[in-house]
Amino acid sequence: MKPYACLLAGWLFPGLGHLLQKKFWRGAIFLVAVLAMTGMGLAMGGKIYPLYIEKPQTLLEIVTNLFKKENPLALLAFLADLGNLLIYALSRFLSFGQGALERSTFEFGTAYVAGAGLLNYLIALDAFDIARGKKK
Amino acid sequence: MIFQSHLLSMVIYAFFVSVVLALVRKNELKSQVKYGLSLFLIMVIGGLAFGWFMFLFAR
Repeated sequence: MKPYACLLAGWLFPGLGHLLQKKFWRGAIFLVAVLAMTGMGLAMGGKIYPLYIEKPQTLLEIVTNLFKKENPLALLAFLADLGNLLIYALSRFLSFGQGALERSTFEFGTAYVAGAGLLNYLIALDAFDIARGKKK
Repeated sequence: MIFQSHLLSMVIYAFFVSVVLALVRKNELKSQVKYGLSLFLIMVIGGLAFGWFMFLFAR
């Protein structure tokens, strides 16, 4: 299995990079852990932060506008949420993960979703390392 | 509404993070258990200790 294909598969769907390399137990545990964290985060009213782009802009304009209009930390939250690529894409199309600010669990829910995204980056990189033969 | 308890939320969060990091960082089962348990205890005890530390400044 090609390393970059494993990296992409793992980024797209938690644990898929490991499952493709026949690391079934590890892949299954990663899948359950990341999906459970994301699911619980969303159930708690957590928010999946989008990247707001109002009109076609250059990359520099997008970054500059982010710091003008949005809380800069929203950019970090967006990058964390992007770690769960499929969940992020689904949230944009199906309009879930809007966040329920009025709930006392909102902050923890958002932390759960962001944490799951960050963990998935590590999981995808782990699959990449295994495919390259740098790790068992 | 689930997880009204922030303590329970923190403990479950620490559990999942510990499991994933232990599997990513270590290869042998014994070292995974040891590393995962250490991480879990550090996060939970550290979170509780920091919570009580912040209580000193509560009004």
